[in-house]
Amino acid sequence: MIVPFGHVLLLAGLLFLMGMVCMVVRRSLIMILLGVEIMLNAAAIILVGSSLLWQQLEGQSIVLFVFAIAGAEVSVGLALIVWAHRQTGSVDPRDFNRLK
Amino acid sequence: MIAALTQDSTLLATILATMLPFVAFLVIMVFARNHRGLSAGLSIGAIMVSLLGAVFLLTRHWQLEVPIQYLGRWLVSGDIHIPFGFLLDQPSLLMLTIVATISFLVQIYSLGYMAGDAGFSRYYAFMSLFAWAMMNLTLAPTMVQLYIFWELVGLSSYLLIGFWYEKFSATEAGKKAFVMTRFGDVAFFLGLLLALVNLGNLNILEMNSPQVTERMSPLLITIASLLIFGGIVGKSAQFPLLTWLPDAMEGPTPVSALLHSATMVAAGVYLFGRLFPFFSHSATAMAVFLAIGTISMLLASTMAMVSRDIKQVWAYSTISQLGFMIMGLAAGSYFSGMFHLTTHAGFKALLFLCAGVFIHVFETNDVFEIGRRGGRRLKVPMICTVIGAAALAGLPPFSGFFSKELILAALADLKNPLWLVAGLLGVFFTAYYTFRLIFIILRPEDILDETGIHHDHGHGSYWLMGWPLILLAAITAVLGFFEGTLEDFFKAQQFIPTTGGGHHSWLSFAALGTAGAGVVLAWIEYGRRSATRIGFAERIAPLNNLFAERWYIDRFYRRFLDVFIYGMVSRGFANNDNKVIDGGIDGLSRGTVATGRFTSVLHLGMIQYRLLTIFVVIVLLALYFFF
Amino acid sequence: MTVYSIIFYLLALLILGSTAMAITRRNMVHAVIYLIFSFFGSAMIFYLFGAPFLAVLEVIIYAGAIMVLFLFIVIMMKLKPGQERLFPLNQWVPAALCGIVYIAIGLGLVISEPGSRITLKTAQADPGLFGQYIFGKHWLSIEIVSLLLLVALIGALLLGRRSKKVPAAKASEGEL
Repeated sequence: MIVPFGHVLLLAGLLFLMGMVCMVVRRSLIMILLGVEIMLNAAAIILVGSSLLWQQLEGQSIVLFVFAIAGAEVSVGLALIVWAHRQTGSVDPRDFNRLK
Repeated sequence: MIAALTQDSTLLATILATMLPFVAFLVIMVFARNHRGLSAGLSIGAIMVSLLGAVFLLTRHWQLEVPIQYLGRWLVSGDIHIPFGFLLDQPSLLMLTIVATISFLVQIYSLGYMAGDAGFSRYYAFMSLFAWAMMNLTLAPTMVQLYIFWELVGLSSYLLIGFWYEKFSATEAGKKAFVMTRFGDVAFFLGLLLALVNLGNLNILEMNSPQVTERMSPLLITIASLLIFGGIVGKSAQFPLLTWLPDAMEGPTPVSALLHSATMVAAGVYLFGRLFPFFSHSATAMAVFLAIGTISMLLASTMAMVSRDIKQVWAYSTISQLGFMIMGLAAGSYFSGMFHLTTHAGFKALLFLCAGVFIHVFETNDVFEIGRRGGRRLKVPMICTVIGAAALAGLPPFSGFFSKELILAALADLKNPLWLVAGLLGVFFTAYYTFRLIFIILRPEDILDETGIHHDHGHGSYWLMGWPLILLAAITAVLGFFEGTLEDFFKAQQFIPTTGGGHHSWLSFAALGTAGAGVVLAWIEYGRRSATRIGFAERIAPLNNLFAERWYIDRFYRRFLDVFIYGMVSRGFANNDNKVIDGGIDGLSRGTVATGRFTSVLHLGMIQYRLLTIFVVIVLLALYFFF
Repeated sequence: MTVYSIIFYLLALLILGSTAMAITRRNMVHAVIYLIFSFFGSAMIFYLFGAPFLAVLEVIIYAGAIMVLFLFIVIMMKLKPGQERLFPLNQWVPAALCGIVYIAIGLGLVISEPGSRITLKTAQADPGLFGQYIFGKHWLSIEIVSLLLLVALIGALLLGRRSKKVPAAKASEGEL
């Protein structure tokens, strides 16, 4: 007996919210990426929790793939950030507003 | 209808009398602007026909019992039926004759007075316009028609006061006259609406009938009467709307003689007489009218006592006498008011026309100047002025004596002796200021020996100006003795509540005494050889200022206008116009631009706004699925 | 209130607290370090929920590789801390509004759903069995993910290449 599933949901929900806030509010490309990571982590928590709820392994396997994809995404994303920083000299997303 | 016209000579006479001046006006304005002789001839011809028509009607229907009405279909709307046409009964016939006579005499007089003026044709056109409007006003069978011609009379007054439009003060005076009378007319119209709503139509005979009390409660009758009296206050220059009349003296003197002494301002009193049965249903209203009449009378008399301008003295006198007439009517005596109206028209026009001669010769309005430059040497105007003044002051055997007697008798019949005292005080003041003026001209301090002051009009114009004076003087002298016949004439009128007038034999002595006292005081102060030539009112400086400034009524109006109307109302509306209406539209355009800019923000660039949009949509989807 | 629930709540507190700190730091390095703490916390939650293999993977991949990569980039780009303006209003207010609505809906959903009251029972997924399960059932996904990693590798390499060649080549690289 651990906790009611609802609590897990709430925890993950709050975590997801924080990740979203970080992504939307912070004025730095790196922080946006960080927000993505937090959100992925929140999703992983839910998945593991629900696999425990239904006593099946599916949730955990999805989490495995989530990790892998997160890794791939971060590497490409950071490479893009580096490139963008080289082009414009800043990581402020407002400076990438080229569609004026 | 043509057959009916030729058969019915009354109708024919009426139509000719009232419509011809209008035709003259149109023809002059359109075709004859540059032909002086033609325009004058057209106008005088038209008014002569009107005069003949009026005299014919009066003599033909001397024994009138039932009023004659000619009504044509005009305004029909549901239950409301307002015709136009003519109503011939005693007061209208009498007034028609008065108007026609005095218009005719004034127009003849103007041939001499206005000769050489640049706007000669325009003057006669406006004179015809006025004559038409005034005559239709007197013959109106419904209040609506009366109101229309009331306004038209106001219009022609405006046009004639501001006749010399190059002079700024004249245009200002015209504007002031029109606006002040218009103000009274608003109340007038409200009263008419009140009556219309309750009675269904505005036929004068119906309004005067006793059935009115069944359809309108006493309160409603009082309110309607008070409102309609507002129009009378405006038109007849009673308190508080009296300051336009002295300013209206900017117009040519014949205009003052015709409009602002005998006919137009008398239209107010005529209206009172017209609706006399209607007003008498409400005792409260009559009391208010009495008070206003008294106040105007006394106020104007005081103003006349210190004035130096000859036309202004007669203007104040007109206000005062109109107040006197209203006092008589409000006291319940119909005939006294109407009779004084008649006699006043005669002698006041006479006084103005004589003043016009003085002004024309000496080119100054100032009384002292006229006296000093030898006013008394002009025989005909001087004698006529004295006759007119005697009538105005109420000295026998002139007409004014008889009519004032009647009014004082009506006042004496009232329960409160205050009114009679006020009336006698008014008589005293009237006599005083009238003879003050006479003595200033007659017995000046020193006479300048100018003999060559006659203009080069020649004696022809003097002959033209002289005959109307003589005629009017003759009428003034004689009219008083016709009191009996006129009273019989009016006795047959319907619905006039008869007042049982008690005979006060002491009254004539009292009246005569006060008038005489006024004359004597004027003699003492101005007429004697060793006179100081400063009136008792002029000695007391604050009183002098008070009277000279017209009791500060004008100042009060100016202040009121500046503070309330211009300061608050105008500014409020201007602000509304600028900020609210213009601002609203500007705001609309700005809002559109801002919306565009906002929407463009969503459309273009910043990464994080787009991310935010994603999350907002997710939340909304969750919302949707949850519910 | 079993021991496990106490542990869970403590861990939840840790995660939420350190994540909150992470997202509000101006200094990028500090933010990353706080986030590492948060990941440690979630690793322990994974262990609590009976996924030890994933717990270890989390520590190795997430906290170990990804966050370190972040640190590398932060240090390499010489980003000066304190440059950006924290909590800009026009971004923060809509986010806060969205967040409030989100929390409200979340709470509503959780409370109204009867399934959320089921208490989790403890269990343990043996890593060996887990591995067999994955390679048995989801072998195709494994292959695809490894291809994905390959693509990411190549992409990162290409993007990160600094061009020392003529401007024409630089322009062509810029289009990548």
